[in-house]
Amino acid sequence: MTEEKPRIGVFVCHCGLNIAGVIDVKDLTDYARSLPDVFFAKDNRYTCADPGQDEIRKAIKENKLNRVVVAACSPRMHEPTFRKTCAEADLNPFFFEMANIREFSSWCHPSTPEEATEKAKEIVRMAVAKARLLQPLKEIEVPVTNKALVIGGGIAGINSALDLAEMGFKVYLLEKTESIGGHMAQLDKTFPTLDCSICIEGPKMVDVGRHSNIEIISYADLISVSGYVGNFKVKIKKKPRYIIADNCTGCGECRDVCPIEYPNEWDVNMGVRKAISVPFEQAVPLVYSINLDHCIECYKCVDSCGARQAINFDQEPEEIELDVGAIIVATGFDIYMPYDDPLYGYGKYDNVITALEFERLILAAGPTGGKVIRASDGKKPHSVAFIQCVGSRNLKKYEYCSGFCCMYALKNAILLKEKYKEDVEVYVLYMDMRTPFKGYEEFYRRARDLGVTFIRGRASHIIEDSQTKNLNIRAEDMTLGQPIELPAEMVVLCTAAVPKTDAGDLARILSISRDANGFFMESHPKLKPIDTPVDGIFVAGACQAPKDIPYSVSQGSGAAARAATILSKDKWKIEPIVAEVTPELCRNTRVKCGICADRCPYGSIEAIENQPAKVVTAMCHGCGTCVAECPADAIIQKHFTDEQIFAQIEEALKKNPEGKILGLLCNWCCYAGADLAGTSRFEYPPLIRPIRVMCSGRVDRDFVLEAFRRGAGMVMIGACHLPYDCHYISGNLRMKARMDALAPMLEKLGLSPHRFRVEYVSAAEGLKYAELMKEMAEKLDELGPEKIKAENAKLKPILDRMLAKKRPQKAQSSK
Amino acid sequence: MPMKIRKSESDSQLVIERIHHAKSYGMTVDRSICVGCELCSLVCPREAIAIEKNPKKTGQKAQPPMIDVDENKCHFCGICTAICPYGAVQVVIDGKTIASVVEKESFPQLIREISVDVSKCPANCTECEDACPLDLIKVTQAPDSKITVDVKEEQCPCCGVCEVKCPEGVIRIRKIFTGKLKINQEKCPSGCQDCLDVCPITGALYLSEKDGKVHCNEIFCTYCGVCRIVCPEEGALGLSRSTIRHTPVRSGAWNRALEKLTSTTEMTKELRGKGKERTMEAVRKLLEPRKK
Repeated sequence: MTEEKPRIGVFVCHCGLNIAGVIDVKDLTDYARSLPDVFFAKDNRYTCADPGQDEIRKAIKENKLNRVVVAACSPRMHEPTFRKTCAEADLNPFFFEMANIREFSSWCHPSTPEEATEKAKEIVRMAVAKARLLQPLKEIEVPVTNKALVIGGGIAGINSALDLAEMGFKVYLLEKTESIGGHMAQLDKTFPTLDCSICIEGPKMVDVGRHSNIEIISYADLISVSGYVGNFKVKIKKKPRYIIADNCTGCGECRDVCPIEYPNEWDVNMGVRKAISVPFEQAVPLVYSINLDHCIECYKCVDSCGARQAINFDQEPEEIELDVGAIIVATGFDIYMPYDDPLYGYGKYDNVITALEFERLILAAGPTGGKVIRASDGKKPHSVAFIQCVGSRNLKKYEYCSGFCCMYALKNAILLKEKYKEDVEVYVLYMDMRTPFKGYEEFYRRARDLGVTFIRGRASHIIEDSQTKNLNIRAEDMTLGQPIELPAEMVVLCTAAVPKTDAGDLARILSISRDANGFFMESHPKLKPIDTPVDGIFVAGACQAPKDIPYSVSQGSGAAARAATILSKDKWKIEPIVAEVTPELCRNTRVKCGICADRCPYGSIEAIENQPAKVVTAMCHGCGTCVAECPADAIIQKHFTDEQIFAQIEEALKKNPEGKILGLLCNWCCYAGADLAGTSRFEYPPLIRPIRVMCSGRVDRDFVLEAFRRGAGMVMIGACHLPYDCHYISGNLRMKARMDALAPMLEKLGLSPHRFRVEYVSAAEGLKYAELMKEMAEKLDELGPEKIKAENAKLKPILDRMLAKKRPQKAQSSK
Repeated sequence: MPMKIRKSESDSQLVIERIHHAKSYGMTVDRSICVGCELCSLVCPREAIAIEKNPKKTGQKAQPPMIDVDENKCHFCGICTAICPYGAVQVVIDGKTIASVVEKESFPQLIREISVDVSKCPANCTECEDACPLDLIKVTQAPDSKITVDVKEEQCPCCGVCEVKCPEGVIRIRKIFTGKLKINQEKCPSGCQDCLDVCPITGALYLSEKDGKVHCNEIFCTYCGVCRIVCPEEGALGLSRSTIRHTPVRSGAWNRALEKLTSTTEMTKELRGKGKERTMEAVRKLLEPRKK
């Protein structure tokens, strides 16, 4: 601890009316000024804006402030901003603490301004208490590997890879399938210009294949990622193609002699491919592969390959390891196949197809050579109806709008009209026609001018004529306000774009989170749309949410630029919020302990017999699990020390503790979920006093005991979902093991079971958090303060004893 | 339309289909022709064909087994069509009967060598037609006494019954399969004639009046193996194939099929033969330019 006496400055932000509209900012500022060690307090309209930051810098200089507290938004938003401000005023950035009074108070308690102000005061008091105990920390510098990994070779990934390669960085482009290209390579024309999709994507694919800085690793899976920003270690498993890539010239002679045809998944199984083949002609890399599931091993291909000797049936899967400094995730999306929707008869009626199937039909290089024909009779349909929002904008299926379906339906309608003119009637049944971007509305007009009939209304169901296989759509025409029947010879379902089926696995490997719909979650929906919560990992394209081509391309380039901010540096500064062992206290010198080394999810602790344990700082991710596990309390987590958290607990529970919930929330899931409840303006009772920890694994049993000792009504630990959501691999599991042991003990001592809770809330579950708060408030009310007080009185002597033994200095300070 | 895989079954046929939006595949097993032998199931590269024994009911004759095809495994390569000596299996792609493996020379065709010299046919003789156990021969005599003998070759397993029965030696048959069928009558359960019941070739197996047991007349045996499947007693019936007459082919798939149908030794023999031919061919090529 520094010897200097703390001189704390508190800056209360109005955030326009976001905070000041609910909370009495003047009162709050005056209150802050009255707190011990606070030498300066001031309110600002916008603290994060330049004048606000200037004021902080000025106040630090003029008032010799050595601690700064800003009461404003979530630290997940502006903590880095204000740390920088402090650093600019020559104050160590870790002397800064944030009080989250916007997401945690003004936004979620708008109808109870007094309680909101009261809660804000306590949040500020907690922050001041922590600030008092803050210590200066030095940022850790790590070397940066100037190489990038791009996962997914669709149009977003292609652009990321090309941009990074052009900037001079080595790029590994990992593609799961045999060829890069992604969904865009499957499409016919693109809106709103009607360029042929592969004609504009193909050259880019070739550029990628030829670029000296890009190495395509296709037909390979990501196995694991370890390390941290600037220093990721990536393991990849290459599936065997049974072809020696260097020897394959892509001539296709082997394919011509192969007798076996199997469904081509790339062609939505509408066409077939040979057991030795490429999924499509323009594949990059143009290397054939053999599907051993179907190959009958006649070796005709070996004969035809001849002297080139490119075929090797003995190939084995190969594991490779890469070192990269940044990772861009551009894994794209899947298309919802509406088999489970009985109303539209997909899979049952021959002439009901999905829009992606329609793309393959109208594409000149597709399985029908560009002829739109019905599956039932091979004839051209004379009327085609597009049904919009199949799966999407449906609360029972996918709540969100898939974004690009209106546009591709328009495009397909125009293509049909231009191709078959008067010979085809085209209908589009839509809920809302969404054409917001450049050239899109004009495109809509073009479709109308061409005579496409637009009917506003949702199709309720489709009936097939068993003889003709024609279809009859029952719908409601909202313009007419009456039910209609629409006969059509072919129906195209414009189905939702959905997350990749393996998005969950990838999220786990990368420790990034997914939103409520299953898409990867960005750090901030507006200001950090490409970043993930993990430094050095970025998202681009439709893996984050459905996006059309121009948007995906821009994001691909954006992600490349974001990654370059890291790759262009030799060294990268990482947060010094790491664990440190106090050697004198470590019992490993006396007995064989090593608990910390065993519990560390990253293996970053060495505990050699008879020596104090040691944390390898560069490998430590700063979850604090070891700190909570250490039986001798010999490990501290910088910036989240026991003293600091105890001080926060003390301040939180000074007044009316029985009526409060003490929350210990993990930064990545529950704290983010609580933030989301705020940003979504879900209102809930203002009873919780939240304390942020980096990981629920940091939550020491003593924190819970201390909270009850101080009379807390309820204690809640908010963690990431089990088993795999934890940002630090297994911190939540460790916490659970610890608390599973603690809960029955507390119950035995007379604590009502509902008063101690472990809850799992993801960053996407703002609503769940709000509901949880309501439910807990009800329980608290049910129990009543008298019962709680009685229970606490019974507990206190025992807890006093337990904590006094472990922390004599704490017992004293609580007097 | 999404890809559809269908299977339909009746007493007379088994049909499996894979229908794509613009392409269709079908495989049909004609159950009136299929004898339930093991050949197709042995050679299927996807192991999609299973033999299902018909449980024997007491007091009734043994029924030949049925074959079942896994519609999710079959990829319509046509190997089963190529190997079936009875012509019971057909693969149809886009309405065309085809065996892709044969077309692409990945698998050979069986050679059915049947020669009929009608000039020697005596008038009004229908011995062969009457004798054919599978009803594949039709003898017609035109008003001008011109005789024609039609043999449904694609369904003929070349048992040779007609050849033996023909009084004038009009028909000459060479067998497709050669091999050995041995019945160890000592092991035969008394009164059992299951093998005889299911044998499609009349005369290939017969009940001996001497010991009341089934004996084999190998002249007619086609070595299809259905008798072995129904035989209830292990070791009572031994069957091995040695050669298969087929069109020339160079294919790993055939080598594996051959090994399964005959034995490793027989397969090696054929490979060695092919190797010799290749060497000779190479030597011939080397020598040719010197001649000039």
